[in-house]
Amino acid sequence: MFKPSVRFWRPAARVACLALLLPGIAAANEQLDKLSQDHNQWVIPAGNYAGHRYSGLNQITPDNVKNLHVAWTMSTGSLRGHEGQPLVVGDTMFFESSFPNYVYAVSLKEPGRILWKFAPQQDKFAPSVACCDVVNRGVAYSNGVIYANALDGFLYALDAKDGSVKWKVQNADPKLGQTQTMAPLVIKNVVITGVSGAEYGVHGYVTANDAATGKQVWRAFSTGPDDQLLFDPNKTIDGATGKPVGKDSSLSSWEGEQWKLGGGTTWGWYTYDPKLNLLYYGTGNPGTWNPTQRPGDNKYSMSIIARNPETGKAAWVFQMTPHDGWDYDGVNENILTDSNIDGKNVATLTHFDRNGFAYVLDRRTGKLLSAKKFDAVVNWADHIDMATGKPVLNPAMMTKEGENVKGICPSSQGSKDQQPAAYDPNTKLFYVPTNHVCMDYQAFNVKYKAGFPYVGALVNMYPANHGDVGGRFIAFDPVSGQTKWAIDDRFQDWGGALTTGGGLVFYGTLTGEFRAVDIKSGKVLWKFKAPSGIIGNPITYTYQGKQYVAILSGVGGWAAIGLAENLTKATEGLGAVGATASLSDYTNLGGTLLVFALD
Amino acid sequence: MSKLYISTATCLLIALAGALPAHAAGTLKVCADPDYLPYSNRAGQGFENAVAETVAKAMGAKLEYVWADMRGHGGFPEYLSRNLDSGKCDVVMSMPYGNDEELTTDPYYVSSYVFVFKKDKGYNIENMNSPDLRKLKLGFEGDTPVEAGLQLRGLVTSAKSFDISESSGQSPRSTLDAVQNGQIDVMITWQPAIGAFMHDYPELTTVALPNTRATGSPEMYSFPMSMAVRKGDDALRNKLNNVIKQQKSALTGVLHQHGVQLFGDGDSASASQMANL
Repeated sequence: MFKPSVRFWRPAARVACLALLLPGIAAANEQLDKLSQDHNQWVIPAGNYAGHRYSGLNQITPDNVKNLHVAWTMSTGSLRGHEGQPLVVGDTMFFESSFPNYVYAVSLKEPGRILWKFAPQQDKFAPSVACCDVVNRGVAYSNGVIYANALDGFLYALDAKDGSVKWKVQNADPKLGQTQTMAPLVIKNVVITGVSGAEYGVHGYVTANDAATGKQVWRAFSTGPDDQLLFDPNKTIDGATGKPVGKDSSLSSWEGEQWKLGGGTTWGWYTYDPKLNLLYYGTGNPGTWNPTQRPGDNKYSMSIIARNPETGKAAWVFQMTPHDGWDYDGVNENILTDSNIDGKNVATLTHFDRNGFAYVLDRRTGKLLSAKKFDAVVNWADHIDMATGKPVLNPAMMTKEGENVKGICPSSQGSKDQQPAAYDPNTKLFYVPTNHVCMDYQAFNVKYKAGFPYVGALVNMYPANHGDVGGRFIAFDPVSGQTKWAIDDRFQDWGGALTTGGGLVFYGTLTGEFRAVDIKSGKVLWKFKAPSGIIGNPITYTYQGKQYVAILSGVGGWAAIGLAENLTKATEGLGAVGATASLSDYTNLGGTLLVFALD
Repeated sequence: MSKLYISTATCLLIALAGALPAHAAGTLKVCADPDYLPYSNRAGQGFENAVAETVAKAMGAKLEYVWADMRGHGGFPEYLSRNLDSGKCDVVMSMPYGNDEELTTDPYYVSSYVFVFKKDKGYNIENMNSPDLRKLKLGFEGDTPVEAGLQLRGLVTSAKSFDISESSGQSPRSTLDAVQNGQIDVMITWQPAIGAFMHDYPELTTVALPNTRATGSPEMYSFPMSMAVRKGDDALRNKLNNVIKQQKSALTGVLHQHGVQLFGDGDSASASQMANL
């Protein structure tokens, strides 16, 4: 660990910065909310509690973006996938690498100077049980503390000034198949974290720890009896019906005790509405892969849940994909905006689901207002029944035991995975990185032959229509279902988006091309080839009055299909590499932070 | 082939379901192989013997073995149908968690497939994509996730398949001998199959295979392992779950003594040591 030798806080302190030094954490939440409204900084992983990934900064514009150039860069010291983003608080940048989860505080005053570096001691088996590369999605900040999840399930509270550990607590146990990849969210006096590992039949949950001490305040499971779900059978609303969920609504959707390995993990992005005092997050696939092994709706896997962050009590729940047979995790971000619904201004939540539908819900009640396909090739369901909230299935595309079902769209990676979309309050559109990939699927079954366990599994993914477009970056209106413009890419667009008041949207491609796009026309105005493919999310901030844009490059994760050695032919072996077969022609592994500025 | 076995098992199960004997009070009837170390043998030297003893003791039950060759005619599926499904015995000690052919208990350990190679060779092998694997003579247990992983990478035709699980009387030691005598450079096999023998091969080392989705579909190389009872025998399953809960450290201890490597074993490594994992 390095001791800081430069002054930490910006001398020309903003009011908010001064406030940070004041005692009393009760106000931490309001401060964080206020801090996030200062677009000179980037203090919440998704930019603000609403998950907009928007900044009002407007120095960089369509006219001058051609002059954007690298200001400084640094290695993250880790080769694996970087799905996160830096934070900027005052004159310091904080970010976390993929496993082994180095956390850095970097000076903006002396760009790239490492003020401190934290390297957690980890359970050496954690990487072995992580399903989809040992990625990380970033740190959280509140009240002078950096909160960082390590893969082995420990949540660390680090003093933002020197990186010293204020407390640590284990919220996930790799021995049970549980790992931790998501970015925490601090709300009021609690730090909220989820869990990864549905491949292991992990019984998914969300944990709230006291921000000052680490003590567990509540834990709410995704499947099981009401008391474990923190559901009130008479008060928690089923968004699909508008009525209370009733007693043991999850238990009755499973056969026997299967809910105990029910999955419903919680590894995505979280948002929060301070006015309603509700936390929003999604749950992942149900446990055990083979749907024929788990009859029922498997509640509340594949659902959006709204909870009181202080008590964990659920206000409402909405299940997108009952009885999942495709691995369409419901963990994607829930972006909070106002929407014009039939001429009325409604407080909504917009969720681009893996299943290919863009759900717009009334975020007060979970009521379904709209669910339009955001990729025309989606064929597992014809549409979402607005009366029941349920998908109207295409029976030919339901996966079955021992049967290879061909041409299912989207693939298990979804029309969009965790790569977060951005919202622009000026155009009122969403800017969405998507996957344009379909699959042939044979469901899973865990078996044993004398002395050796194994699984039967085959998934073959390929660009839709066996074409050469694997990803599309779209400007989308979820209420009308209209795509305003789209940029086709060879591979899945697995990096997040950033919108700015300057009229630009930034994102990176799997091949490592970092782009600035005219938010109105969709024209790529500027690009830069990063050292490695991009699956991270851009941010923007100012230092000494000048606007900067930062991105983590470092390909990996489930996105980097085919990057493995010599996997160049879609037909090779079991043939599951078609989607990104030639990615290795374009990029290589390796984490780098890149910061850009105008002259 | 395996489909045929399963349907045989299911038919037998249906035929006998009405006439199954209740468990004899105070007796735990364990199906076990009389000659398949490190899992079990008649002399009680295997880790499954030790686990069975621990469980029976905790239940206050008399341990009774029903011996049968797991690798005989019809393989493991027929073994299950002739012994467990037919009611001759009531529990098998190893079954991956979540298997739907029998009723599994909660998992009592998680272990992994491993690369086994000579320490002094200095290979850089971390996962199935490690370039060194392409240059080396590989061995693997057939019909496992390892075979699928090798096939996917175009490595299977040049590798040697060891079919321990289908070769009655063959010891998993033979896979270690093959590494020891240089017949193959890297053996890829289930750690519990070879853990008990590793102390006889001090020149060899193991590296666990990480699970991955690097090629699209999930590749699973580590498995939570359970005991299994007949479908419908929830009473015994619940008793076993209680034992697994209460005897957690005893069971872990027994597995360790028999060289089974579990997830969470050992002290945490420093981040710098792990950077290459």
